[in-house]
Amino acid sequence: MAYDYHRSGSLAEAFALAARDDSALIAGGTDLLVALRKKKRAAPARLVSIRSLPELTAIEAGPGLLRIGACAPLTEILAQPVVRERLPALAQALAVIGSRQIRNVATLGGNLCNASPGADSAPPLLVYDATVELAGTGGRRELPLSEFFLGPGRTALRPGEIMTAVCVPLPVPSAQSVFQRRSRVAMDLATASLAVNYELQGGVLKSVRLAAGAVAPTPLRLRAAESWLEGRAVNEETLAKAVELARGEIKPIDDLRGSAWYRSELIGVFLSRAFRNRKEGDA
Amino acid sequence: MNEFRFIGVDTARPDAPDKVSGRAQYIHDITLPGMLWGAIRFSDHAHARIRHIDTSEAEKLPGVEAVITAYNTPEVRIGFLRDNFALKRDKVRQFRDEIAAVAARDPETAREAAALIRVEYEPLPGVFSPEEALVEGAPLVHETDARGRARKDNIVPVRFAHHSGDLEAGKRASRHVVEGEYRVPLIQQSCMGTAGCIASFDARGNLTLVAKTQIPFLAQKDFNRALGALGLEGRNTRVVVPALGGGFGTGLDTHAYEYIAMLLAWRTGRPVKILYNREEEFAFLSPRQSASARIRQGCDENGRLTFREIEVVQDNGAYTSWGATFPSVMLVPATSLYRVQNVSFESKIVYTNNTYCQAMRGYGNPEITWPIESSIDELAELAGIDPFDMRLLNCNQPGETTPMGLKITTCGLKECLERTAASLDWKEKRGRQDAKRRGVGMAGVINVAGGGKIYRSDGSGIILKPDDYGNVNVSYGGVEMGQGLHSALALTVAEALGIRPENVIVNQTDTASCPWDVGTHASRGAFMACNAAVLAARKLKARLLEWAAEIYPQEVEEALARARRHSSFKEPDFDWRDAARRGQFELANGILTVTGAPELPELQVDFGRLLRAVHFRRQGPGTTFAEDAFYEPPTELPDWDKGIGNMSATYAFGAQGVEVEVDEETGEVKILRLVAVHDVGRVLNPQTLKGQIYGALAQGIGYAMYEQVLTDKGRVLNPGFTDYKLPTACEMGFPIDVQLVETNDPEGPFGAKGVGEPGLVPTAPAIANAIFDAIGVRIRDLPITPEKILLALRQRR
Amino acid sequence: MKVPLRFLLNGREVALEVQPHARLLDALRDYAGLTGTKEGCGEGECGACTVLVDGRAVNSCLYPALEAEGCAVLTVEGLVSAQGGLSELQQAFVEEGGAQCGFCTPGMVMSAAALLSENAAPSDDEIREALVGNLCRCTGYTQIVASIRAAAQKAGKAQS
Repeated sequence: MAYDYHRSGSLAEAFALAARDDSALIAGGTDLLVALRKKKRAAPARLVSIRSLPELTAIEAGPGLLRIGACAPLTEILAQPVVRERLPALAQALAVIGSRQIRNVATLGGNLCNASPGADSAPPLLVYDATVELAGTGGRRELPLSEFFLGPGRTALRPGEIMTAVCVPLPVPSAQSVFQRRSRVAMDLATASLAVNYELQGGVLKSVRLAAGAVAPTPLRLRAAESWLEGRAVNEETLAKAVELARGEIKPIDDLRGSAWYRSELIGVFLSRAFRNRKEGDA
Repeated sequence: MNEFRFIGVDTARPDAPDKVSGRAQYIHDITLPGMLWGAIRFSDHAHARIRHIDTSEAEKLPGVEAVITAYNTPEVRIGFLRDNFALKRDKVRQFRDEIAAVAARDPETAREAAALIRVEYEPLPGVFSPEEALVEGAPLVHETDARGRARKDNIVPVRFAHHSGDLEAGKRASRHVVEGEYRVPLIQQSCMGTAGCIASFDARGNLTLVAKTQIPFLAQKDFNRALGALGLEGRNTRVVVPALGGGFGTGLDTHAYEYIAMLLAWRTGRPVKILYNREEEFAFLSPRQSASARIRQGCDENGRLTFREIEVVQDNGAYTSWGATFPSVMLVPATSLYRVQNVSFESKIVYTNNTYCQAMRGYGNPEITWPIESSIDELAELAGIDPFDMRLLNCNQPGETTPMGLKITTCGLKECLERTAASLDWKEKRGRQDAKRRGVGMAGVINVAGGGKIYRSDGSGIILKPDDYGNVNVSYGGVEMGQGLHSALALTVAEALGIRPENVIVNQTDTASCPWDVGTHASRGAFMACNAAVLAARKLKARLLEWAAEIYPQEVEEALARARRHSSFKEPDFDWRDAARRGQFELANGILTVTGAPELPELQVDFGRLLRAVHFRRQGPGTTFAEDAFYEPPTELPDWDKGIGNMSATYAFGAQGVEVEVDEETGEVKILRLVAVHDVGRVLNPQTLKGQIYGALAQGIGYAMYEQVLTDKGRVLNPGFTDYKLPTACEMGFPIDVQLVETNDPEGPFGAKGVGEPGLVPTAPAIANAIFDAIGVRIRDLPITPEKILLALRQRR
Repeated sequence: MKVPLRFLLNGREVALEVQPHARLLDALRDYAGLTGTKEGCGEGECGACTVLVDGRAVNSCLYPALEAEGCAVLTVEGLVSAQGGLSELQQAFVEEGGAQCGFCTPGMVMSAAALLSENAAPSDDEIREALVGNLCRCTGYTQIVASIRAAAQKAGKAQS
């Protein structure tokens, strides 16, 4: 698996190289290098490193919006007070991706573009209605994250396109969000995960967002369960129906981390626990 | 009150400074001049005939120096049943089978070349579980045995059984009887340092093997036999052991990769290194055997055990290594954990097309203590007796002889159980099944602790060789693999001889310079090494003190003469000449003096000075010193057919308990605390001893809750740490209370017992018993995953 | 075709020629000859290869060597003083029994060094969380956590 390694000096050069058949992009490399080593992916003639491009690593907090450069390492994102304070589900998810060593180099864009069904950053970003910026020699476009994942390892990126940033609208202060996940041990890929974001107003649920990981070919929004919960009061019957709907939306598989049955059970537990015993004003 | 100067005192390990600074040299770090790298081409099928092997593409690759197969090398048979071959000729029986190998200038080229070898197969139907393999007419893994005689079935020809007392009478005397089938999975030892070796030949045909082994001398024997196959009869193998990145049983047998390195080195005339990467370690090294056990146990109306009946079936995999002899160790707890008079034990080891198996810490004991200790709780539940009380009632006692003929000398089991219960607040916590779903459970352990005789000698030799500077070099044939053997040796030699531990230097294990040792396994390392060291140190000390009669007065007179030049000097108010005449010499802490002497430097002779004065004697010929000793424990090689024989010089006992909390919605088990109380005979170095227990506990937790090598038709599905999960520091984040019970065993060095394994053994049943106490669900197959618990909860409803 | 690579290795400038696809681990072990950093898995799970790049712990098995260009890389060998004395952290591992077989130890020490540089007085839970990417099969982690706790306490005392 010998290949050339080129540290790109500019975004323009990266766009040009990304369009070539003999090149592949590398950011933090924590997934890609393992895939190459295990021959789960053919080695290209050249890896083009974009991890040090300042345009891709900046994290900018604007009014109501956080723009995270696609190549910002997870550790940098976690260090942002705005993430911890306003986007708790994202902070909870990023904190359990790999180890410290991994988070120091792994990037948010890498976690998303790798398009693993269990990518932990995806469910919280989905419930925060994040969008992704994709750019290449052909121009720049924005896409809701919910339209980005097409299948395991497959995304809406066009040939030559690079994810440049992830934009996260900051939820209103009254919104509540949480990320739940189970894995066999602390350092493991998720068996199943669920992010939840909602508001509780006058005892009624509003702006409900649910997104699950590791239970379908892609991270996915649970829209049927969301619609059911919209406008309803939290009680056991409401939650039971939501769980039933959520279980109908996911398509888990059996693998060495758990059976489809167990994954489905976990999603139900996560969903109930996200809402159970929560009151207005809870963070 | 410690009667010793160094024994029993927390002491830093002598190998630690090199390890924390990156200086310790593992097989990974060693490169020899001119060295080539070997790589192996493994099978693409679990069971197939080899039709054709085409190595031409591999040979053409630049940098390749040799490509070998069974067709261009002599046949080298391996394994104690000789049923395995270094390179396979006609048939492959597992995915791990070695078909060809390459030596090349670097590891990448070697692996690339190995991948270029084309093999044509005729696939054969395989058998992938003992159940499949035992069906009448099942495909045969081996059509013939090593002597070429036709085989009729897939049963491995080894027998371990035991029948004592009157089983039927025991059953009739039972008020309560429980029965259950328990399973343990295939797991990987998971040494942090992967396996590897370097083979090189001298010009006379002698082999030097730098090997990650726990059995340097048995390996020497195996390799000398292999040299015969190369036409090098009478040539010798020197086995040198580098720092080991863990052992845990992986090094208990010689491996095909080592013979392949030997063949490549012989073919190329250059040193050849083979180093497994992690994926190869998982897929192509022998893991811990899976097994199932059916157990029946009964008790009378008071809870006294009436009988125990066990049938074990083990999946041996395609070839036979020491994993097949796990039942030899299972016999110990099966017959002797708690008092039970009527015992039946049968085992069946079955060939399959799965990977073949090997030893791991505990060697059969965890596999059988899992059913025994789970079943004790089931029996107690049925009889309406507190399981702790049932254990105490049937507790082993010092001085008893068990049905296997084990002579229990010292036995701290009762105290271990009582202290475990006390630490867990047992009487208060047990049986509450409150809303928090918390529960407590315990399990006991018996383990060989004074060697484990499975070979015609279970002994260990040692050489102590002082130098001119007051250091004593120790040559010992056992292996330091992280467990703290060198620390135990340093303390023992220092204590027994009367010098300081930092002046004890333990040499690298090397068959050329160390006396014979059977191997480092069965918790025997410190017990054997230190017993041998005490014997040798006594001999050495006696000789040194004989010389003291000449040297001491001479050195003291000289020192006094020098001191008298100072006006302030006062003659000592002590008749040291008289004490010396009476031979009242003392060597302690590296200082020779006479009994009762005041602590004056003039009356003290430094150990190094003593040695130099003897070596470079003023008048007459001097001498240097070296003393050896061989310790053979007073044990018996059991009759395996009958399962009788006192295989160890003493036995370790212990008890462990846990408190758990179970999440009934997810099935997750949280360990709130763990108690481990072990009868260790005597503590040599508290730090390393506790390190052994903590480490064994973590392996026990892994075995109980997380680990399993998953296979599909013989192929390993999770060959790496991404998919095979060891406990991390976070899983081990609960409080652990380790307590050591000292029973001062008469056969142990300073009273010590071997303690490497026991901490692993009762961990799983203690957890399963606690889960039952918490939620009333019993899990009978390891690992105990949340999914299994949730499923069991659902099925109960 | 080898390419030049210059970086600060344990405080000293080094200039190497490496294969473009070399990992930082290869650069350290095979090109710079520092074998203290170990390879335990090659896939970022075991942490035996942990080194610090510009003060941050990384898995050198997943770190392209060329990304170290111009960086400051610290390995376990670099913790030892110029006179050969062990650092306080290494000494704590010696005294508390933090090393058994020792293969994971260089990575453990480096992860601990990174932790203590960010958090001088970590709780036991914080220590364990910081070690989640460092597997050990010998110690059960108890005495490793104790080593790091002792090093932190000693450093804390020295400061106050």
